[in-house]
Amino acid sequence: MHFDPAVLVDYWPLLLQGAWLTLQVSVAALVMGYVAGIAVALIALVPGWLPGLVTGCYVETLRNIPFIIILFVVYYGLPFCGIRLPATLVGTTALALFASAYYAEIVRAAILALPRGQFESARAIGMSPMSAMWHVVAPQILRALVPPSTNMTLTMMKESSVLSSITVPELTYQSLVVQGNTFAPFEVFAAVASIYWLIAVVIAEASRRLERRVGAVQAEAVSRNRIADRYLSLVARRT
Amino acid sequence: MGFKLNYLLSILPRLIGAAAVNIRLAVIIMLFALALGTALTIVRSLKIVAVNACIAVVISFVRGTPLLIQIFIAYYVLPAVGLDLSPEVAGVSAIAFNSMVFVSESMRGGLATIDAGQIEASTALGLPPHAIWLKVVLPQLFRRIVPVLINEATIVVKGTALLSVITVVDVLRTAQQIASASYRPFETMIGSALVFLVINLVISLSGRVAESRFAAARV
Amino acid sequence: MSAPPVLRVSNLTKRFHGVTALDKVYLDVHAGQIVALIGPSGCGKSTLLRCLTWLEQPDDGFIEVAGKPLGRELMPGGVVRRQNRRQIDALRPQVGIVFQQFHLWPHMTALENVVRPQTVVLGRPRDEATRRGIELLTRLGLADRMDRHPHALSGGQKQRVAIARALAMDPALMLFDEPTSALDPELVGEVLAVLRALAGTGMTMLVVTHEIGFAASLADRIAFMDHGRILEEGPARDIMAAPKEPRLRNFLDLVRADHRIVTTTVTPTE
Repeated sequence: MHFDPAVLVDYWPLLLQGAWLTLQVSVAALVMGYVAGIAVALIALVPGWLPGLVTGCYVETLRNIPFIIILFVVYYGLPFCGIRLPATLVGTTALALFASAYYAEIVRAAILALPRGQFESARAIGMSPMSAMWHVVAPQILRALVPPSTNMTLTMMKESSVLSSITVPELTYQSLVVQGNTFAPFEVFAAVASIYWLIAVVIAEASRRLERRVGAVQAEAVSRNRIADRYLSLVARRT
Repeated sequence: MGFKLNYLLSILPRLIGAAAVNIRLAVIIMLFALALGTALTIVRSLKIVAVNACIAVVISFVRGTPLLIQIFIAYYVLPAVGLDLSPEVAGVSAIAFNSMVFVSESMRGGLATIDAGQIEASTALGLPPHAIWLKVVLPQLFRRIVPVLINEATIVVKGTALLSVITVVDVLRTAQQIASASYRPFETMIGSALVFLVINLVISLSGRVAESRFAAARV
Repeated sequence: MSAPPVLRVSNLTKRFHGVTALDKVYLDVHAGQIVALIGPSGCGKSTLLRCLTWLEQPDDGFIEVAGKPLGRELMPGGVVRRQNRRQIDALRPQVGIVFQQFHLWPHMTALENVVRPQTVVLGRPRDEATRRGIELLTRLGLADRMDRHPHALSGGQKQRVAIARALAMDPALMLFDEPTSALDPELVGEVLAVLRALAGTGMTMLVVTHEIGFAASLADRIAFMDHGRILEEGPARDIMAAPKEPRLRNFLDLVRADHRIVTTTVTPTE
């Protein structure tokens, strides 16, 4: 067994094409999923038991089913309803559907974490619920949304690899193509994993910058005894 | 063509039968993930700089790459280095490895919530490190991360559906086999979605019961 | 007869999970009056204010603001019609409320807190709203604090911004929920001065408070509430001097005794 990156030399363009599609699909699903997620979160907050029940079922159903199953349900469900779309669009829709449940929970939690009085004072003065959300609630929760949304977007970007199973030519699909042509699994998957890893690191870093721009991060300093620290933390001491 | 509920009901028994495969694999994976995750946490606590640096890279790798790619690595790459594993074993190792990292990461989070005074007291009493781990830290830690472990269990169950891609005959692969014979893929997929939904809801609910038991026991 | 009262509450009833918080409340507040609503905690005072701003929906009864029904109206033929959200929102600026915790919007400056609702709710042009905001904040002694965010203001300053925010909507009526309770005791005199100055402009006010002294020195009329009902209502002097209702007498005695204890225990340390 030897590691020979040269076998990939003809296949880099294919892998990069796949990576580019992975990025495009992830961004499109992020936008679609977030819009849907905000809508679900807002419906969930409408008073009464029915909106909560309906949105609760939506969220729990999507969260408890493997994404690959959601993907196939959408893949076979759209033609079943007479809708025929290219595989890439089907995959993006399924990905957005899947992510929307998580985004909805993120948005809902952030809104609920804000003191009720903020929304109520806007309502009492005569703002409509949407105006109160836009002028008073949204600007205050924006920063709190960034870290969990980034986490979810990373998860979603990774889940997009499953789109390979409905022949969407994204990165994982291309890696299987290259693997079939070269029979060099080590090289292929090392390269592909590195590309995913790189995308993840870039997204995480971008989110950190975004968070800093949206507002200063309040770091919580926890001071502790050194002996206890030996057991209760995993941070390596530099000497 | 309309939705055939009768057809859906007729295939449910086969899908539920196949679910036994997913559940069995998920249990094995969780056991490995727990044991390895705990071991990894203890190794990290030794704070050997070089070791922890390597572990950090591995963790970043596992968190930064898709589970499906990790499964492919176990399935395609391990045989190339002489480890010829069956699809099931390859898949279980990949998901267990992935889950191990997340278990260890949540244990790290749990450690931060344990009262430092207890450790000082235990050290003052002269307890050796392994006793501090076994008698003081770990029992509290496990109790604290029960909700995380329950969540991890549902993620593992969902992960087992990916094993169909490497030819493990689980719920999804069974559904695909049924659908290719009946030409009713939509109903079949709805059926497998229901199977997973029920499994995971049962796990979440029993987790909530266990949590309230633990909460009661702590009072 | 004279003009209709600025606020007319009739038969207002509110239940929470079977517990009656408001029990057939009747209350009139006429133009230019200051009415203090007193009573023990949990008596329904705050619930009444929340109903008057429709943050809480009463189960029964009617509210009229400056002659216009709020939330629910009686149609000819005795049919009760629920107003839709737009109708309610349109009337809400007429009822200014200053919350106990003020609920200023922390991401806006003091001035923006006052300007934004005018532009959003009343559709005022921004420069007109700004002019109005500056005028109000200046009148309330905040000319040099307008560009600060709420976290950089003292409690009393926050309260005055909240008052300006409500006044900018040109309300017919101002509601105050426990205006002294979130502030240091030595600021009570300041709050009193601000509210009195407001009264000087002819503003109609309903002030919920548990501070009897504050109520007595501010209000024209006092209403006493207990167990969700208004038990006694009348000119402030009469209520303080000769309470008829035994529960009110009891309450006044208790509060006065409390006050004595507080003053006697505090004095030596000062």
